[in-house]
Amino acid sequence: MLLNHYKLRETLEHQGALFCYSGYVNEGVLSGIGQAIKQKLSMEKIDARTIRDVFSVFVEQVQNVIRYAAEAQPDASPSTNVLSYGTLTVGRDAENFFVSCSNRMARGDVTRLQQQLSMIRELDRESLNKLYKQILKGEVPTGSKGAGVGFVHIARNASKPIEFSFIEINDDYAFFSMKAMI
Amino acid sequence: MDDIRIQATERTPELDFNFSNNQFALRGESYPEDVPAFFSTPLSALEAHLGAMTSGEVTFLFQLTYFNSTSAKVVMKIFELLDESAAKGVGVTINWRYLADDDNMEELGQEFGEDLQSAKIVMCPLQG
Repeated sequence: MLLNHYKLRETLEHQGALFCYSGYVNEGVLSGIGQAIKQKLSMEKIDARTIRDVFSVFVEQVQNVIRYAAEAQPDASPSTNVLSYGTLTVGRDAENFFVSCSNRMARGDVTRLQQQLSMIRELDRESLNKLYKQILKGEVPTGSKGAGVGFVHIARNASKPIEFSFIEINDDYAFFSMKAMI
Repeated sequence: MDDIRIQATERTPELDFNFSNNQFALRGESYPEDVPAFFSTPLSALEAHLGAMTSGEVTFLFQLTYFNSTSAKVVMKIFELLDESAAKGVGVTINWRYLADDDNMEELGQEFGEDLQSAKIVMCPLQG
């Protein structure tokens, strides 16, 4: 077990991970890791805008994972304590910081999410800003058919188009991953 | 209408809604666990208060350093309420305060402000 952890850490370091969390996610996880990210990047004298963008994308990704659990189980209330499982990574490569997340999702929702993210990927900065404002004003239906405000928010904070992938797990589930370069 | 004052926490802004002198303020960071739970009461009170006004002066100060996408919807809603009020004859000034080197908060202020028809927005950079 100890040896496995060493290997796991080496693998993560090799990928440039500064933070990696895999497990059940709640708002407390978001607060705790979020603060640690800000602290670590401040200590490294990273510029304020980059810290804010990394933090901002992290918040949207984690809240997306948390919210997805609620949407996937409409009967769930806070008292039933539904937690979703997610894998969250913040790291850096030679040029950029990156923030990525993945979670299992219902296969039936893949097409819709894929369409949304493909559409957002194609937008230039100006169109992205326009769409963001339309969603904030309620002019674009959110929820099941419209574009999620969180993804647009992430795209605005990112320096490159969002990368994403879906892997089929079985008839019911797919594995969704996304990565934003800051 | 009773004034509403909520202290800032790590994830919620300081909220200061002073209905008696029409001074309103939001300061700090905003990414609450539950956005509706935090904002719904103050926002309903603000809507009712502005809805009843046809004259006078209202000042709303935004001094936010970070807000998430669901909080952005609330900021937009407040801008819309203020602009509607201004269209009815209330003098509305929105002060958008940000650190002078915070380009992002400056851009957000410009983005939110550019659609205002009647309310006035004043950009207020603070020297760090």
